[in-house]
Amino acid sequence: MKRIAQLLLVSLLALPCAHAQTLRIAAASDLQFAMQDLASQYEKQSSTKIAVTYGSSGNFRAQIENGAPFDLFFSADSLYPQQLVTAGVADGQSLVIYAQGHLVLWAPPASNLHLAQRGFEVLKDPGAIKIAIANPEHAPYGRAAVAALQKAALYDAVKSKLVLGENISQTAQFVQSGSAQIGLIALSLTFAESMKGGELWEIPAGYYPPILQQAVVIKASANKTAAKDFLEFVTGPTGRNILSRYGLTPPESAGKS
Amino acid sequence: MSVEALLLSLRLACTVAALLLLLALPLAYWLAFTAWRGKFLAEALVALPLVLPPTVLGFYALVALGPRGVLGKLWEGLFGHPLAFTFTGLVLASMLYSFPFAVQPLVNSFESLDRRVLDASSMLGASRMRSFFRIIVPLAWPGVVTGVVLSFAHTLGEFGVVLMVGGNLEGITRTVSIDIYDRVQALDYVGANQTALFLLVVSFAVLSVVYGVNRRVWSPWSGR
Amino acid sequence: MLFVEIEKQFRTAGAAAFQLHIQEEFPPGFTVIFGPSGAGKSTLLDCIAGLISPDKGKVRLREKVLYDRDQNICVAPQHRGIGYVFQSLALFPHLSVEGNIAFGLAKFQPAERSERVQRILETFHIERLRQRKPPDLSGGEKQRVALARSVITEPAVLLLDEPLTGLDQGLRRAILEDLRNWSAERPIPILYVTHNREEVDAIGHRVVVLVDGRIREKGLPRQVLDAPRALALAQAAGFENLFAARVIEHRPADGVMRVSVDGSHCELEVPLGTVHPGETIQLAIRAGDILIATQLPYGLSARNVLPGTVQTIETRGTMVHLEVHAGVRFIVHVTPGALRSLDLVAGSVVWLVLKTHSCHVVAAD
Repeated sequence: MKRIAQLLLVSLLALPCAHAQTLRIAAASDLQFAMQDLASQYEKQSSTKIAVTYGSSGNFRAQIENGAPFDLFFSADSLYPQQLVTAGVADGQSLVIYAQGHLVLWAPPASNLHLAQRGFEVLKDPGAIKIAIANPEHAPYGRAAVAALQKAALYDAVKSKLVLGENISQTAQFVQSGSAQIGLIALSLTFAESMKGGELWEIPAGYYPPILQQAVVIKASANKTAAKDFLEFVTGPTGRNILSRYGLTPPESAGKS
Repeated sequence: MSVEALLLSLRLACTVAALLLLLALPLAYWLAFTAWRGKFLAEALVALPLVLPPTVLGFYALVALGPRGVLGKLWEGLFGHPLAFTFTGLVLASMLYSFPFAVQPLVNSFESLDRRVLDASSMLGASRMRSFFRIIVPLAWPGVVTGVVLSFAHTLGEFGVVLMVGGNLEGITRTVSIDIYDRVQALDYVGANQTALFLLVVSFAVLSVVYGVNRRVWSPWSGR
Repeated sequence: MLFVEIEKQFRTAGAAAFQLHIQEEFPPGFTVIFGPSGAGKSTLLDCIAGLISPDKGKVRLREKVLYDRDQNICVAPQHRGIGYVFQSLALFPHLSVEGNIAFGLAKFQPAERSERVQRILETFHIERLRQRKPPDLSGGEKQRVALARSVITEPAVLLLDEPLTGLDQGLRRAILEDLRNWSAERPIPILYVTHNREEVDAIGHRVVVLVDGRIREKGLPRQVLDAPRALALAQAAGFENLFAARVIEHRPADGVMRVSVDGSHCELEVPLGTVHPGETIQLAIRAGDILIATQLPYGLSARNVLPGTVQTIETRGTMVHLEVHAGVRFIVHVTPGALRSLDLVAGSVVWLVLKTHSCHVVAAD
């Protein structure tokens, strides 16, 4: 067995290493589909390869503080990137709002909950047995969901029906798979193929603080030039175009919904 | 399906199994043959990773291996970069996680050896090393194989610890189990299924080969 | 010369703790260590071999000190140059016969090693078993391999713990013969542990009797085992009938004393002793020393003729084991031929005939 292990080890270590520059990006889960498009578009016009890891923004903040080797951090809020700057781990000068996110109510196709007509009231429906939201402890969309529920004076009533996703992507998956009947998720996720045809209701802006999503370059990065270049791409016209296809609106239009 | 993630997982499992074998042999020898009255404490310590949730292990591993932890700082001093979020960090965390799976089968195997056979080896002038490699290990071979196979398989399926300590970095710490998790979150069920199925087949193949090769070794002992 | 002075607290399964207390010199040649199970025989060997550490004492082989508690000397078993054949033989199951036997010769050159192996295989008549593995060997073959393995290293002392258990007589004698031939050229102490009387007789030299951790007797087999002076020895030596008896009267003119067995009406005449009437003695009588008659015998020299009834009959190979109730329960051994010609069955009325001198008076302990 030892011999087999050694053989395997030797052969695997001979795997070719990436020689093109790779940019490592920590991206909030609401960018699950949008970032894929951004990355493939960018790779067409640059020699840099993009490697993305998706997860909850709060989780990334903790990891990056502990030395996780990412070059760029795309958060789903402004709080976490700013915390990293304060901790001296991120470059404050690179801090930029790249998009505004939106919270929606979503149910799978054929759930017959008539979300669009009923809005918040649907959460009290006996058919809404489980309501999925992202974990407010470390997911910005979860924080926003809680705020919205409280503003609508529904939080206490539906508290017992809430299921928490580790990040907003997992939250969407809960609803899409039917484990939860309805969820408060990111608008950007509803543009995915497997989400098409679902019932959707955009939660009015006044119910939650605006989700201003910030990105920042990590100080320990060895690819700062490439990182800044990508960041410029994302905040530039091509990037904004792609983002808005997923409902991630440009930051200047904050206030409009 | 991500071949890269699969190869990474296999590389991790092989490295961990091999390193654990080296560590477990002397430790299991000591545990099986020492007369120290405090042995039960050592046994409990060895068994600890069995009962701790992977997230607890992962947490402590992250703290120890991170830039603020003892090991992390030491490593950074020596090599210039942190230990967490690296393959080496994963290996160390996985070794902790699969430790009892490597040690316990060995201890059981050693303990069930006929003591008189070991006595005979001593009376015939064999040093402790010679007795260990010529008599104990060959006779305890099923335990050795079990230990290696279990630590390999256990590491292959690891998730919680890897996620905490690894950071899910493509090509470096994104093992197969995390890749499957990612696929599911991206609502790519087909991809998730493909990868999971492949992992299942590979694991089964590895186990079959190992048990098949050791069949001949085991039959004479079944009657003892 | 092997000098052993040992004290060791030990425990056998289920029994209370014993103290092993030995002080003995073992000269070159065979010494049989005889005693019942639990007497401490294996523990003694383990202490001499260095596999167990005594609580205190000394073990010295000629001038070399192997163990001395006071001087903190304890030579490891690997370096004592002692050969030890265990009761379970402990052959290495994964090595061939050749591998087993050559194991102790690792320090030799291959040429010398194979020469020695060849010679020992011939001495013990096991050349044809060279490539076989222990699981494929018969009982007698295993014993031979175990002996060969231990003696090939030319040990300074040879310890044998019941090495021939479970073998039939013929095989035992053959292997003992080989062993004796081997030892004839080597003046080393050989300690042979057994609880089998026939082996003691077959080896014939010194016997040391170990009971409850202490040496009770030593001498020639006939002295020690045929006329046991202590009850424990009598039990060890295989006297099947053991009774307590109360002395009724002395008859010095007849050279006997009359005793009442076990509080029953059964009375026997036993050799005259110094015990006073009214006091209790222990009697030991061999089952093979008792005669059975289907008719009341006359004109016999034997002083004890007891009427009784056969209770059970059990044929065990060449010996028939009978229980006869004649006031007390006697165990009697006869041959199958005798059983047939006397036509004995359970319930047969018989007379038991015991010579006075077959009734051994032993000290209670």
